[in-house]
Amino acid sequence: MDANVLAKEMIEHFGEDVACVARSFKRLYVTFDPDELYPVWDWLQEKLPGLRFGTSTAMDLRQGIGVFHHLPVNGTPLVITLKVIAAKPDPRVPALTVKVPAAGWIEREMTDLVGVIFEGHPEPHRLVKAEAFPDTFPLRRDFDPERFKEDIGELPDF
Amino acid sequence: MSSPTSKRVVQIGPFHPLLEEPVGFSLGVEGETVVDVDARMDYIHKGIEILAQQRTYDMLPILLERICGICSVTHSVCFCNAAEDLLGVEIPPRAKYIRTIIAELERVHSHLLWVGLAGHFIGYNTVFMWAWKYREPVCDVFEMLTGHRQNSALPMVGGVRRDIPVKYFDEARKTLDMVEGKTQMLTDAVLDDPVLAARLKGVGVLTPEEVMEWGVVGPTARASGVDTDVRRDEPYAAYDELDWEVCLTQNGDVFDKAVVRLLELKESIKILRQCFDRFPEGPLNLGTLHIPRGEGVGRYEAPRGEDIHYLRSNGTNMPERLKVRAPSYTNIASFKASCIGEKISDVTITLAACDPCYSCTERTAVVRAGADQPERTFGDLVRLSQAETRRIAAEMGRAPDLQLT
Repeated sequence: MDANVLAKEMIEHFGEDVACVARSFKRLYVTFDPDELYPVWDWLQEKLPGLRFGTSTAMDLRQGIGVFHHLPVNGTPLVITLKVIAAKPDPRVPALTVKVPAAGWIEREMTDLVGVIFEGHPEPHRLVKAEAFPDTFPLRRDFDPERFKEDIGELPDF
Repeated sequence: MSSPTSKRVVQIGPFHPLLEEPVGFSLGVEGETVVDVDARMDYIHKGIEILAQQRTYDMLPILLERICGICSVTHSVCFCNAAEDLLGVEIPPRAKYIRTIIAELERVHSHLLWVGLAGHFIGYNTVFMWAWKYREPVCDVFEMLTGHRQNSALPMVGGVRRDIPVKYFDEARKTLDMVEGKTQMLTDAVLDDPVLAARLKGVGVLTPEEVMEWGVVGPTARASGVDTDVRRDEPYAAYDELDWEVCLTQNGDVFDKAVVRLLELKESIKILRQCFDRFPEGPLNLGTLHIPRGEGVGRYEAPRGEDIHYLRSNGTNMPERLKVRAPSYTNIASFKASCIGEKISDVTITLAACDPCYSCTERTAVVRAGADQPERTFGDLVRLSQAETRRIAAEMGRAPDLQLT
């Protein structure tokens, strides 16, 4: 399905809750509030039978922490990017893992590196960071490597 | 459900020969049956994503080639696809063909590597030796064309950096003829061998529903009959101009995953021959491009499945964010679906069947070991797997190795 057509149908269905930008016929970017995540996923899954979870990107934006879920559709060139923005300082978004288990690892990774809490995640323990790693988030803009070195000390001499 | 006394946990890894990067698997085991799988990752987190924010667009393909030791073309071309999606440009035809040639050579040597290792894990060491023997000339061709066996340093945003020498195409064709013959021999031997069929059919099955649930990609998904291939779905490089087919099988077990890869080898050789025949003249790249503010998603069919890069630019000469998702990331997570209910001697080959990249150190220990429970190493798991093949072969009255002619 063409991204422009899908964008129109989404706006018809969800109204002003979603903002759709089709950057080409194969790339659709949809921005909405975190509460809308499950309805949007359910609607898309029903609409597009080849919809599959690809991956997610989390990044520290000035207005909050952005969580972008990239969803390719099998058999078509279409990639849909669902964008939700969680407000700082306590960023929380619903876990997509509840709907699709493929999101399990990447959501744990995002919690580790950027510090977004995924509410409802069935296995919320660490994936990337070691247990001894302090509770700081290396991909946040305010992460200070010097300060980090002071906190954990130099590496042991092997 | 399992009672706490009957379930034991077998720790595989974090250093494990099936994986290019260390991964820790905890297998919950009841008797010989696996009832739970948990994975622990990123023991050698390289910080590529943060490094990528500190490199210019021209330096990035060189950095990204070093993500993986096998799929070096994968990540650099995937990044270029993302940047070209952001820019909305099309690269010159000669660059498209060069990218296709290096990508398919990589697929050929990567699949041959997998065939060899899969053979080793079930005790077919002849297959291991032969497959790796035929992989070497393919790496030599890669070196003849690009100057290096693995890292070509060819892709750049908007095309390729250098030309490849056309004078070596004849030599490359000869190598491909040889590899095609040997692939056919391996395929016939695998399809005809009753021990392999008894050993691998019905093992580690992924149903199409599980494939969609776990987002499985590449040959692992195609073995379950899920028709997905980025080369056809969203043609990059020259794939839309060439005549080739997506290989599909239906059963989703380890046997079918092997067959899909062997069939794909032949398709790759077909693609390469067409590229050599139709190699066009023309410029190699679009010159230095300014990447404006924006975002792009790049996809690429790596030997192991779909690779995704998300690029976000703020208008400077370095990306604001680059997200890299290698195909093994989703394929490994699907072990939760494919390993549960399997026998422990089948876990090795089930883990290997999605072709995670390989490393060379390993450690396996029974975590909740009683006084009478001996510690197990990964070598024991391979031995268990090989013994299972020998048992089936003995029952059938056959030699415990593939009959190659």
